[in-house]
Amino acid sequence: MEWEQLDLNPRIIGAVKKANFRSAKEILSVSGPDLQRLTRLSKTDVQRLHCAVAAAVRKSKPVTALQLIRGECPVLEAGHRLSFACPILDGLMRGGLPLRGITELAGESAAGKTQFCLQLCLSVQYPQENGGLNSGAVYICTEDSFPIKRLRQLIAQQPQLRPDLPPALIRSLRFSDNIYIEHAADLEALQACVSQRVPVLLKRGLVRLLVVDSVAALFRSEFQADEAIERSRHLLAFSNTLHRLSHEYGAPVVCVNQVTDVVDGPNPGRCDYGLVGSKVLPALGIAWANQVMVRLMLRRLAGQVQSASRSSAPRKLEVVFAPHLPRASCLCGVWEEGVRGIPDDHSDLQPQGSS
Amino acid sequence: MHRTVPSLPLAPSVKVKLINAGFQVASDLTDMRPLQLCKEAGISQEEAVEVLQMLRDDGQPHQQRAATESLTALDLLHQEQALGSIVTFCSALDDTLGGGVSMGKTTEICGAPGVGKTQLCMQLAVDVQIPVCFGGLGGKALYIDTEGSFLVQRVADMAEAVVQHCTLLAEDTEQKQALEELTVEKILSNLFLVRCHDYVELLAEVYLLPDFLSKHPEVRLIVIDSIAFPFRHDFEDLSQRTRLLNGLAQQLIQLATQHSIAVVLTNQMTTRVSNGQSKLVPALGESWGHAATQRLILRWEGLRRLASLYKSPSQMEATVQYQITVQGFRDASDEHRPTPDTSAVSSQLGNHSKRPRTEDLS
Repeated sequence: MEWEQLDLNPRIIGAVKKANFRSAKEILSVSGPDLQRLTRLSKTDVQRLHCAVAAAVRKSKPVTALQLIRGECPVLEAGHRLSFACPILDGLMRGGLPLRGITELAGESAAGKTQFCLQLCLSVQYPQENGGLNSGAVYICTEDSFPIKRLRQLIAQQPQLRPDLPPALIRSLRFSDNIYIEHAADLEALQACVSQRVPVLLKRGLVRLLVVDSVAALFRSEFQADEAIERSRHLLAFSNTLHRLSHEYGAPVVCVNQVTDVVDGPNPGRCDYGLVGSKVLPALGIAWANQVMVRLMLRRLAGQVQSASRSSAPRKLEVVFAPHLPRASCLCGVWEEGVRGIPDDHSDLQPQGSS
Repeated sequence: MHRTVPSLPLAPSVKVKLINAGFQVASDLTDMRPLQLCKEAGISQEEAVEVLQMLRDDGQPHQQRAATESLTALDLLHQEQALGSIVTFCSALDDTLGGGVSMGKTTEICGAPGVGKTQLCMQLAVDVQIPVCFGGLGGKALYIDTEGSFLVQRVADMAEAVVQHCTLLAEDTEQKQALEELTVEKILSNLFLVRCHDYVELLAEVYLLPDFLSKHPEVRLIVIDSIAFPFRHDFEDLSQRTRLLNGLAQQLIQLATQHSIAVVLTNQMTTRVSNGQSKLVPALGESWGHAATQRLILRWEGLRRLASLYKSPSQMEATVQYQITVQGFRDASDEHRPTPDTSAVSSQLGNHSKRPRTEDLS
């Protein structure tokens, strides 16, 4: 920290240097009386020092919510979201994924989580006025290998998924060039990928979506049942990195999560998030849940749903919690061209399990 | 003051030297210069300076002490009642809190993710602005966001609902006049937002609060959402974390009492295993439990959301039910309130009590 830059009496700066303080963090972490003792400055001098250092650390001044909603501070509130490429799903999310913060998609296997992620990887590449972010995506696989065949199928079917867009626009985008695929076989590789390679891509503006599929796999396999604290620590460090990247570059982070079975009844030691009667809960416990801003759950239902002579098993996408969304859900199906929401007036379904 | 030298609070050796030099009363000493006193009494220069300083300080505060001592408990009670409180719009919770979130105190809101802490904070940030003629405080709010969960779209919804609520309540001319100025834009313009990305930025922001409050004296509420997030990783040395948190708590309480504002902090929950049983407890450790004046814990019980007042110097412990609607933080059974679109509200959320309730239609 360059002390001379601060707007302070040189006497105070001299005392700070003499007491061997090197960074703003050190000054702010020491209380007033302790600073007085270490620098032998008076109380008012120490107050001025704290204020000057704090002003230097502060990144931006307070803004009003009116300025935010008018779009005058794009760093804090972008004003648009990342679209799901389906108007019903976007309606559930009030526009799409928020640009800053971690969105979690939890569900059982074969629920369709990977399908959602692939669809987002394509949607992000469209221009902003079409719901995208004009940039690519990073897809980190920790479980199975990347479903490249399915991606190719989705790319070929984009005009069917997005009939509202001009075909020339869709043809002009080189989708597979802009999706960066990483495989992480263990936690170390995952942390290295997220702290070294991903920031480079973000800084160059090559990507503006980060998908981790899945976050549960490595954390559940590498820690025993009694190593909960150790696992928490790694989980917090990992989510902190994701959080920082998301906020710095305005890039949505989507984390796919597995689910655990609920074997006993309601347990006061475990938070159910109001999901009464659900046989499964998102994995990784409350330590991870505290880091997530938007939690979505995807459930596969029994029965079939038809659309133009094709059929698919219906899924229910539910918003478990989000700061700006009510508890709501919508039905969707997985088709050849991707995931599409099903309007509410659909009648031929037999939902299974909880409602 | 006619104090004799032997009665002064000085070291005995100094007193003896002063008396031997002929100084009998305090008034003999008051006009002396340190060097003079030093030569005449034979005491060192430091001691001379100390003697004169003690005499100077001793002279004035007698009247001041008399003035401060005369503040009775009744005066304090009146002062506290005059301060008012910020409603939460959940009348059950307001009753439990004694009217609402109190001014001059720090209130901590703990809860699991998604239970409604941020919603309550946003609601309070809007409610503090309700004009005085409607029973509010007419003040501004500062929202310090450390998690990035402040989404202005939601605040706009809540502001809209508050404006509509006041419109339905407006009766006399004063209220109607205040209502003309109460728009969603005005409410949003009186809500300041700061985003802190780590604990150093949060510490910096708290050091800058006195300056901010002096520039914006109408601010009556400070929200820190959440105080746990920046402090839960990155700390190998937990004792340093405890020290920093205690320092923060002290600064915030000082600000709350000096400026008569309400400070609201949110905290996360963590699992604690004891005797083979695990339960959810507020995060940040045991010593943090003493930091806030009031503590509110929000939790799920099946489909219901419950708020428990866990710690308060003036109110009884109680648990009430609440719900989060499109309009914001509300009572659990809100059907008797004159809200415009109750059908949309009750169908959108499955938050209903398990026991059927009798609604009093008014």
